[in-house]
Amino acid sequence: MALAFKQETFRNDYKYSNSPNAIKRFPFPFAEDQYMYSVNIEPHVKGKTGSVSEFAFDVDEHYVGECLDKQLTLDLDRGRYAALPHMMDAQWDFVELTMEALSNDYPEHFSLKKEGLNWTWENKPLNIKQSFVFGDASTMPMDPFEFMSKQVQGDFVLLDQRDETLYADAGFVTSQADWSLAFDVGMSWREWHAPVPRATELGVMDRALKYLLNLQLGSPVRRLNWTMTVNPRLDTSPENYPLWGTDRNTVNPENVADKVHLRVELQSLFRLPRSNGIVFSIRCYLMSLRELSSYPRWAKRLHRVQKTMHPDLIEYKGMTKFHPMMVEWLSQFDDGSAMAVGTQPE
Amino acid sequence: MERGYWIRSKPVYTSLLWHEKATSHLVVAQGQGGMAVLKLFQLMHPKQAITVLYTPYAEADYSKTLVKVVPEGLHILETEQEVLAKLEIVLQGMCMGMRLYIAGSEDFMWSVAKVANKFGIEDAGMMKELTGTLARPIYCVHCKATTHGVTTNIGECSGCGRMLFVRDHFSRKLGAYMGLMIDAESPGELPEIEEIYP
Repeated sequence: MALAFKQETFRNDYKYSNSPNAIKRFPFPFAEDQYMYSVNIEPHVKGKTGSVSEFAFDVDEHYVGECLDKQLTLDLDRGRYAALPHMMDAQWDFVELTMEALSNDYPEHFSLKKEGLNWTWENKPLNIKQSFVFGDASTMPMDPFEFMSKQVQGDFVLLDQRDETLYADAGFVTSQADWSLAFDVGMSWREWHAPVPRATELGVMDRALKYLLNLQLGSPVRRLNWTMTVNPRLDTSPENYPLWGTDRNTVNPENVADKVHLRVELQSLFRLPRSNGIVFSIRCYLMSLRELSSYPRWAKRLHRVQKTMHPDLIEYKGMTKFHPMMVEWLSQFDDGSAMAVGTQPE
Repeated sequence: MERGYWIRSKPVYTSLLWHEKATSHLVVAQGQGGMAVLKLFQLMHPKQAITVLYTPYAEADYSKTLVKVVPEGLHILETEQEVLAKLEIVLQGMCMGMRLYIAGSEDFMWSVAKVANKFGIEDAGMMKELTGTLARPIYCVHCKATTHGVTTNIGECSGCGRMLFVRDHFSRKLGAYMGLMIDAESPGELPEIEEIYP
């Protein structure tokens, strides 16, 4: 099915919305009435036709808008891209993985032609055509990792595996939920996740690390993470906190349903063949409370999850100011009856 | 701060101890760190080659005692800048198996570490002892400047002038704690500024 790419903005006038189909396929993360961190990692296997996990990298109606927003954010702050010098093999691994996946899964939009090491990549939605020699960075207009990160929705971190841990040694990060690549680049797994409250005590990070150190080539994994964001803003970075921080004061009972968005990260991890590194893909989906409530089951579930949220998580996820209003608005969908486990919309 | 909660990126500093299997020893210290060097030599005078770079800081000056105690390779320097310059020269002549020991403020130790990194010495290969002050280097995530010697919970950025909340999250690569604009959500509203890293 050919995708109709929308013209959208993720800042200033915020021209963003989800089509009924995009709402229906939204990766709603709450299967139960309560939420706490867990090692919710599962194999990144092919999901149902039309679902966000049908392909390795999901391309949807927001593709063009998001790629333009990435470029805007990077132009304003070059620190959103970083790659330590020893990561060049991993950069080419990333190019191969993404080009092959996109051209196989979306042949009407992307194509890759190979003659030995002479490759030609074509991206029709973004109007990019590039011939290059695979493995020779001088034949690319920029770092190979930067080149392809700009053409796939989401953020990407390349992890180097050594000393029994994973180091975040390269990244392209423009749609992060309040963490800084410039600050975190070069950090080990434990250092990088250090500020996440409760996770360390629960042992979640250590268990996830153990799992990932044994990640196998060809068997990627995924998990969902979530937060709530005011306005459909991709760049909620600490760098630009002075720009978006005050948005949290603008929420009131009248606009809460349109301003507050459920932000879900589909995180997937792939072992890389040459570098033995891992690519950590963090794909962001945004949906307003109003859009979400077109499936009352989801609104009912979200009400319960939010109502019972641990206070530390409300604080950590930056929801303190608007949390009561959100719970109040969602309460209209909750009749108190029991709900079966599951994330399905209906 | 919640009891039992510990941000794991925060460096753990120990007391300096000789690595007996080192091929040579390089000790770099500032101010009160001179005491850490003296403690090392109380333990043992190692057989291997020794180099000590020392600069007095604030009121703390152990130069005279160090001259008596350190058997060889002692360099007393006037400023941190001179220490770092000398360190560059010394490291060029160092071989595998050299061990690096650093004592001083966090600002000082991570400035030394940054020079050592250039020579392929990884963080795990350096021993660090925090002495004299808890003052912190703060990296501003907004303008990317590092402000040195911050002793309060909130510090003014030397780059952009924003008031930064000092987060416990630490980057070894930058050698600094994260500073985040404290009043981004409510401009001008500042909590009380208190000295907590004297």
